[in-house]
Order: sequence, then structure tokens, then C-alpha cells
Amino acid sequence: MLEVTDLQKVYPNGTHALKGVTFSVEKGEFLVIIGLSGSGKSTMLRCLNRLHDPTSGSVKFNDIEVTTLRGQKIRNVRSDIGMIFQHFNLIPRKSVLTNVLSGSLGRQGIWKSVLGIWPEEEKQKAYEYINIVGLEGREHHRADNLSGGQQQRVAIARALMQNPKILLADEPVASLDPATSHSVMEYLKKVNEKLGVTIICNLHFLSLVREYASRVIALKGGKLIYEGDPSEIDQEWFERIYGEEAKEVTIN
Amino acid sequence: MTTEATLAAPKKGLELGMMKNTLLALLIDTFLWGYVALVSYKIIYEKIILALRYPEFSWGQPVYALVIGAIITLPLFFTKCSIGRATRGLYELDENKPIFKEAFTIFGVFIILLTFVAGLLISQVSVREFLSDSGLAGARRIFVSLFQPNLKILDQAIFAAVETIYMAFIATAIALPFAFILGFFAARNLMEGSRIGMMIYTVNRFFLNLTRSIEPLVWAIIFSVWVGIGPFAGMLALMIHSISSLAKLYSEQIENISNGPIEAITATGAHPIQVIWYGVVPQIVLPYLSFTIYRWDINVRMATVIGLVGGGGIGTMLMQYQGLAKWNEVGLLVIVIASVVWIMDYGSSKIRAAIK
Repeated sequence: MLEVTDLQKVYPNGTHALKGVTFSVEKGEFLVIIGLSGSGKSTMLRCLNRLHDPTSGSVKFNDIEVTTLRGQKIRNVRSDIGMIFQHFNLIPRKSVLTNVLSGSLGRQGIWKSVLGIWPEEEKQKAYEYINIVGLEGREHHRADNLSGGQQQRVAIARALMQNPKILLADEPVASLDPATSHSVMEYLKKVNEKLGVTIICNLHFLSLVREYASRVIALKGGKLIYEGDPSEIDQEWFERIYGEEAKEVTIN
Repeated sequence: MTTEATLAAPKKGLELGMMKNTLLALLIDTFLWGYVALVSYKIIYEKIILALRYPEFSWGQPVYALVIGAIITLPLFFTKCSIGRATRGLYELDENKPIFKEAFTIFGVFIILLTFVAGLLISQVSVREFLSDSGLAGARRIFVSLFQPNLKILDQAIFAAVETIYMAFIATAIALPFAFILGFFAARNLMEGSRIGMMIYTVNRFFLNLTRSIEPLVWAIIFSVWVGIGPFAGMLALMIHSISSLAKLYSEQIENISNGPIEAITATGAHPIQVIWYGVVPQIVLPYLSFTIYRWDINVRMATVIGLVGGGGIGTMLMQYQGLAKWNEVGLLVIVIASVVWIMDYGSSKIRAAIK
């Protein structure tokens, strides 16, 4: 479904964030990317939907080469790939409903959407997804007044609005408390299993990785150093990924 | 790139930077010594010794001064007196020695003192005239009548003040949509993506800075020739200035917004226009509103000044009575203007605090 080959990214300031990463993702997987801060995880995800342009290498999404697309074509690919973020990135001052509806912008006419006119069936769909993430009754609340966990669920509903084939999650629970983290991860699992959406997720906590991932890759200094089953990450691999000084912190 | 190349490049750059700095330091010194030579000649020789009221100016003098400056600079550049070398960081300073004891600091203070003396002479500062009997009597006459305002023209004055407020409002309102659109094209974070974007950004910024650096008073003079003396000319002057000021404030606001919502909306596959409308606009509406109200407040004050050159409203009225030396009427107008400015200031700060 997604094939990444020898992906490199050098930022204008000279940072070599990705140094030739190769992996592939099958339909229905829950792939987790682990690694230290600065190991290139976020850059990785952003190169997949071209929020960042990779310097070289190839990203193939359903056999379409993504790295060279422009204009409407890249926007079409993006609308097939949902994304959620560490800091939720909801539209401030707008209602939950508008935030969820904004997930469908890729298929709305420009001027109608600027005027705030949404088709009735899109609204119905938005209500449905708000239900799925357990926020019924909050449709008209301001999204930025909700708690962190609720905001992330709005973000998931917004991503689902796209009818995504893949959902990218960039450290979705890094700014949430342990209990809320699990609830958000449960929603991602639900999306993965019930709706059949492939998930690629950056995570910090290995306990979460073991519980939710179907496969793991690890990045270190912009290189892929581990690929395999989450249960196979032992102490030796842990130290290799996070450095010898590291101690595992669990989150329950 | 090989290792040697990476090592050699910064060294070469360092040498080049050093040369550039030295050259710049030389230029600064030449300019400063030239300035000292010119001002000393003008002040000490022409003003004090010859006691000319209006010394003549010729282009030859500054050129000679620069030549003299260069001649003085050459030997002094290698002593501790060089401000050029000090400001370009070419001195190795003794940390124990206080900086105000360095020769170049003393030279700097001397230049400021020289400028101060020249300024006094050019402004024709005279304590004698300030405290002369006839002068004080005139001042007393004006102050007394100012404090006895002529209430007969109150309704006329209020009408003119209302005219001024409306003029300022229309100028702000018409400027708003132009500034709104130009603001996006003047925001670096939105435009630096492509080369065409950067070009539009640069040209836009240039014209905004140009129109903003021309005072509304000057615009009013231009427009009063163009459309005739009156409120319309004043309104146009305020509008032009408001467009460029607001566009600059707006663009700075856009440059400060959070990138998160923009990323999120881009990731949904939205068109750039949709990204701006849903990712940028919600973050900037309130600051924009606040800036715009503040601009209206400023425009009311400026409209008064513009009225002085015939831009209509209460300013024009003030100028007419002032020209007739009717100080009681002027007194009333001053009170009306002060009240309007105070009310606008109070109101706009209250509104701005409420929408924060």
C-alpha cells in the first residue's frame, strides 16, 4: 500500500533528518515508529503526505509516486491520508462540528467552503464521526475549550471525515496524561480494526507500542535500525534504540 | 564535498569578512571625521566668528569635509580613536578597563556634544526671547482667551467634529479590505514558499513602506490638489496611510500565528485558499479587529491635523479661527478636539480589552 525507498531529507539549515530510509506498509497494519526525539520520526511522517518535501528517494502510495506530484494531484493524495498531531492542531475559536467538517475540505468547492456552506450529507457524516469518538452533544462547543483528550478525539473525527486509507499519527498522546493516552489509543485501535484504516503512528512509550502495534520500526539519527514484531524488542534492542543510559518508563 | 573543501571554505569566508569589516570601519571613520570637520567649520567659523544668521550651503563643503576626514582618518585609524574599528568589533578590548575611558568612547561623546551645540544654534534657541516682556504679554493674552471659550460656536464645532469622526471611519472602513488582502501578500511565512511568492512579497513590502513613509499630511496636500480642498481629500489621505499601516500590522500578525492548524488543514488535501480561510483567518480575526479599531482612533486624531491643511472637519475650522486670531473660538475648538480624542481613546481601549 505504501512503499518508501531510500528516503532522504536535508533541511535548508543543513540538518540531515533522514538518511535513506526504506520500508513498506501493508493494508490494515498498525505500524508504530519509535526513536528518540530528533531521530527523524516527525519528518518521516510529513514526507509521506508531502507536508515536507523529501530531498531524494521515493514514496509510493498505491503505486502512485508521491514525491513529484504537484497542485491538485498532491491534494488528492493528501485527502486519502488523514493526519493527527501531538498538539491536536484544531482550528481555534471554531466549533467541534466545523473542525470535523474541515476534514472534508479536499472534496468541497473552494468558494462554498469559504462561505461556510456544507452539503447536508457531509454534516450527517460529521455528526456520525463525532458520535464514534464519543463527543455527541458537543457539536457546537468551541473546540479549543475542550480537554486535551477530547481535542485529540475531535482531530481523529476530522481525519476520519477524509475517508482516509491511511492515518498518520504524530505522537498523538505525547501531551496527554496516561489514562487519556490509553483512551485515545483505543480509538485509534477501533479505527484500525473496525474501519480498516491503516495506521502509521509515532510513539514514545514502549508499553503502548507492545499493546497496540502490529509491527514496529525504529529510527536513530535518521536511519532505520530495527524492523519487526513489537514483542521482540528486548533490553538489548531497547538500549540500541534509546542509548545505553536509557531506562524504560511504563505507562499504565 | 570533501573534508578539505569544508574546512577551507569558512576560513576564506572569514578573511573576506575581515576585509569587508576593515573597509566599513574606514568608511565610518572617514564619515565621522568629515562630519566633525564640516560642523566645526560651520559652527565655529561661520556662526560664531562671522555671526551669519543663515550660513550659505554649497555642495563643495561636504565634499571637502570628507576629503579632510579621510586625511585625518589615515593616521588615527591605527590608534585607539577609531569608532569604525570599535563598532565593527576589530579592537581587542581590555576587559578591566571601563569602556567609557577608551579613546573612541571619548571621541563619540565629543561628536554628540558637537551635534548638541550645532542643534542649539540651528534651532535659534534664545532664552531672552522666551522670557521677553512683550512675548510674555502676548502669551498671557492668548491663554486667557483660550480659557474663556466662545460657546456660541459649540454646535458648529460639534458638527465639524462629527464630520471628522465620520471621515476617519470611512477612511478606515475603505482601507480595511485592501489592507486585509495586501496583508497576506506581505506575510513572509505565507510567501516564502516559491520564488514568485518572494517577488510579490518584496514588491508589496516596498510599496507599503513607501506609502507609509509619506506622512498623511503630505498625502492630504497631494489629494487637495487632485480632488479639491475638503473632507474627501482628507479621507483619501487617511485611507492611503491606513492601508499601508494596517497591511503591515496584519502581516506581522500572520507571521506570528501557530503553524499547527495550517499543517492540519493542508494535510486534509485542502486548496491553498481553503488553508488560508480555515488555518490562518480564525487565528487572526480578533487581533485584526483590535488593530482596526485602534486605527480608527488614530485616524480621528490625524484627521484633525489634516484638517489644518484643508482636509475638512474640525481641523479646517481651527485653522480658520486661528488665522483670524479669534482665540476664544480657538479655545472652544481645542476643548472639543480634546474631548473627542479622549472619548475615542477611552472607547477604543475598552472595546479592544473586551475582545482580547
